[in-house]
Amino acid sequence: MLHMRALSRTYRTDTVETTALDAIDLDIMPGEFVAIMGPSGCGKSTLLNLMGMLDSPTSGSYVFDGKEVAGLSESKLADVRKASIGFIFQSFNLVDELSVRENVELALLYHSVPAAERRRRTEDVMDRVGIAHRARHFPSQLSGGQQQRVAVARALVAEPKLILADEPTGNLDTNHGEEVMRMLQTLNAQGSTIVMVTHSPSHADYASRVVNMLDGRILQERRRAA
Amino acid sequence: MLGHYLLIAIRILMRNRVYAAINIGGLALALAGCVLILGYIRYEQSYDGWLKDSGRLFQVQTTIRPPGQPDVRTQGSPFPVGEQLAAGFPQVEAVTSLSAGKTVTERDGQPVFIDATTVDGNFFKVFGLPFAYGSAATALPDTNSIVLTEKEAIRQFGTTDVLGRRFTLGAGPGKRDYKVSGVLRDLPRNTSLRIGVMYRGDIADIPIERRGWGNFDQIHYVKLRAGADAAMVNAALPGWEKRVVPTGTIDGKQFSMADVFDLRLEPVTGVHLGKAQEAALTPAGDPRALVTFAVVALLTLGMAVMNFVNLTTARALQRTREVALRKVLGARRRELIAQFMAENVLIAAVAVLIAMAIAELAIPWVARAMGADMQLHYLGKDGMLLPVLALFAITGLAGGLYPALYLSRFKPAAVLNGNRGSTETAGSGRLRMALVVVQFAIAIGLVTSTAVIWSQTRFVEQVDPGFRRDGLIQIANAWRYTQGGEYDAARRAMLAIPGVTKVGRTGLGPGDSAPKMVWLARTPGASQYASLTAYNIDADFLPTMDVKLLAGRMLGDRQAADRIADETPAQLATRGINVVVNRGAATKLGYRAPQAAIGQVVDVWFNGAAKVPATIAGVVEDTRFGTARDAVDPIVYAYNPGLTNQVLVRYAAARPGEVMAALAKIWRRFEPEIPFEARFTDDVVRELYAAERARTILFASFSLLAIVISCLGLYSLAAFATERRTKEIGIRKVLGARSRDIVRLLVAQFSRPVLIANLVAWPAAWWVMRDWLNGFDARIALTPTPFLIAGGLALVIAVATVAGQAIRVARRNPIHALRYE
Repeated sequence: MLHMRALSRTYRTDTVETTALDAIDLDIMPGEFVAIMGPSGCGKSTLLNLMGMLDSPTSGSYVFDGKEVAGLSESKLADVRKASIGFIFQSFNLVDELSVRENVELALLYHSVPAAERRRRTEDVMDRVGIAHRARHFPSQLSGGQQQRVAVARALVAEPKLILADEPTGNLDTNHGEEVMRMLQTLNAQGSTIVMVTHSPSHADYASRVVNMLDGRILQERRRAA
Repeated sequence: MLGHYLLIAIRILMRNRVYAAINIGGLALALAGCVLILGYIRYEQSYDGWLKDSGRLFQVQTTIRPPGQPDVRTQGSPFPVGEQLAAGFPQVEAVTSLSAGKTVTERDGQPVFIDATTVDGNFFKVFGLPFAYGSAATALPDTNSIVLTEKEAIRQFGTTDVLGRRFTLGAGPGKRDYKVSGVLRDLPRNTSLRIGVMYRGDIADIPIERRGWGNFDQIHYVKLRAGADAAMVNAALPGWEKRVVPTGTIDGKQFSMADVFDLRLEPVTGVHLGKAQEAALTPAGDPRALVTFAVVALLTLGMAVMNFVNLTTARALQRTREVALRKVLGARRRELIAQFMAENVLIAAVAVLIAMAIAELAIPWVARAMGADMQLHYLGKDGMLLPVLALFAITGLAGGLYPALYLSRFKPAAVLNGNRGSTETAGSGRLRMALVVVQFAIAIGLVTSTAVIWSQTRFVEQVDPGFRRDGLIQIANAWRYTQGGEYDAARRAMLAIPGVTKVGRTGLGPGDSAPKMVWLARTPGASQYASLTAYNIDADFLPTMDVKLLAGRMLGDRQAADRIADETPAQLATRGINVVVNRGAATKLGYRAPQAAIGQVVDVWFNGAAKVPATIAGVVEDTRFGTARDAVDPIVYAYNPGLTNQVLVRYAAARPGEVMAALAKIWRRFEPEIPFEARFTDDVVRELYAAERARTILFASFSLLAIVISCLGLYSLAAFATERRTKEIGIRKVLGARSRDIVRLLVAQFSRPVLIANLVAWPAAWWVMRDWLNGFDARIALTPTPFLIAGGLALVIAVATVAGQAIRVARRNPIHALRYE
């Protein structure tokens, strides 16, 4: 599904150059559930941002779905992104002014999906994550777990090939965290490819492969026995 | 998609009601100001555009260039134009001549004045005015018929259907009956014509010496043929003047009136705002004031738009997450720009609607203040719809584009990882402060200007005019009252009124708009004539006015040469006259001190007819009979009661109303046919500055609006800035800062742009105000005071605005602030 070769990302300020990612090689196959672990500042989030095309690499090659995407323009990246990738964030990132339904539907607004179809898919996915009964509520009226479920629904509704989750349980208590992890596991079982950044070893256990990072490099990869 | 944009825009506005109110309210106020000013400008430009074939109607205007004197631009033109112009120019379809004046009639036993216009037979061929009764074809068949307006018909007869009725007009030997041959519909207020009753004039009634090229007492209007080019006529006019104006000899030199004047066709629609305003039938518009108003209105709108940009970008912080998220979900930048533009255009649209409501509510008030018959209409040739849409588009684009570009620029990766500070680019805060500086600079500039204009307006009303203004009454239209033996009886009666101390006569009084008479005077040995304004007065005028004698004596009856009676100019040339001059005239004649002028003899061209030796008997202080805009005239006073037509009455220690009533009674006894028109000189002078004062008030209103708008901007900017710095303030407090320190920090920070704004505003205001003050002969000195007042005021208001916010934030428990992140 995606192949990274010698992928690097450096940040420059006037005086300092920081290498966030240092010549990473990484392949992810369709249907995998990959967890990325590592201490703060090791480059996990940078890797995820590059993977999600929210950021562009400084050097190296990134082939996504058979196409080289390193060096594409921002608007081309936006096209690839909206067609293929769904995001889940630690801080949910729901739009406060929109209701649950509208937040989920938001992901389809930029896809030129007809309104009726949009409504049907939104209802479907809200059912799947068990948030349909809260469709008219606004984010501020929901618990953290419920908000993250809305975020998951929003990531799913456009039926992406890849779901990227950046510490999806970081802002949740243990119970709600487990609940979200089980949901991701189910999605993976249904065929979704998932890449997740996490600090929690127990949550990493839900993944089929764990990538450990340190100082912008991949330290080791560990495949969980099927 | 558009529905989605609107939905989120409305929800965001609802969530930030104060912000929305400030933003929309500021814009709406400024837009309303723009619409009102635009309405007023449109109204001023609409003069005479409603006339039928207005594009083909022109007034023949004259620029008179008297040697050694400033040019005079008058709406009058020489008498022969009426008869000869059409023959010289095939483009001319018809020419008509009009002379305006007043006549009297009796109503309920009292004499009243009516505007009276004498026209020739071509008038209705040129002006297709609508008739209520009668028609252009049958109106004014002879000199016994009149045409009047509906308003005058109702005043006189109580109805408009008065065709064929008799109407007695005039006084004394000129009193006679006229037959009504037509009733005109009332003219709208936006016209440079003034019509009450119209007579048909007959050339046979005009004395032969009044039919020459030196008589400018009539106004000529020309109707050109369809398709004719006025510019071609104007280009050919100088040549035509040379051909048709005869030459003569004066002092042995060839002379032609054609060398002294130039004629020009002015479109009738340009008369009201034109440069030639001498002899105008209605008060002129002031194109300079219109430009000033337009500039001030646009500045105010600019401020409101800056507010809009400022508030929107300041609030951008609250939207970064949304922007980032939308980008993650696949929104392209142009889609985001479209969204934010839609939001800003929505705000602009709401503001425009509110502005129109404000304008509709305010228009009667503005119309009254400006003396204009203004209305707001939306459709049609000069409807407001297009300009309002243009204002809307400009506001929406100008106010929306930058924030849209700014907001859509955020990089999602940085925002969504919770690293919020990075969204605030280094330059944007500086831009906002720059906009605040510009806003306050405009506001300070306007307030400074208002202060200067206000002081000057007060100054000119109180400036020493060289005579005592209070306790003085001017009686007008006294052309018969001031003459002959009856005057002595009337004078005795007036002096018998308790409180009346002096009574004098003059041909020109304070605030008079009547044309001035000019005498050319030359001291022996001087090569050039000096032009002096001649006042015909009686011996009591200067003492009545309380004009100070500087040297010599006043004119009187003890010396025969003081008084001019019925002598011809030739007789006067032989016997000579005595005159009094003012300080300015003495200086102009070359005398260093008033005393030096006493007893000197100067040659005076007496009414242009004979060279008369005039002995200077006295020198008096300068007087300002006109407005403070005009230079003080160099005046020569001649004791010539035969040419006076105004009576001045000085009173002391009496009730003004009672004096006035007693004067009216005496007038009625001596002059029963002419209406009594007397006014307190204080009122006359005040009226000279009425327009000036109205403009000052309007200007002050805009300054106030500007201050309000900039404070609204500063208020919300301060609110957002303090909000954003909650954490910083929390840390400072944990580290030991007191509330007082925090408040001082924030206030100091927000005072800086206001202080910088002063540096921008002061030179600009100084430059503009110096230019404006130069339009006055008597003016205040441009001191630092108004600048300091305006700057100080802006600072105080700004500090008060910010301090409220700062105190609230500074008092908060820092724990909340720090836990929040």
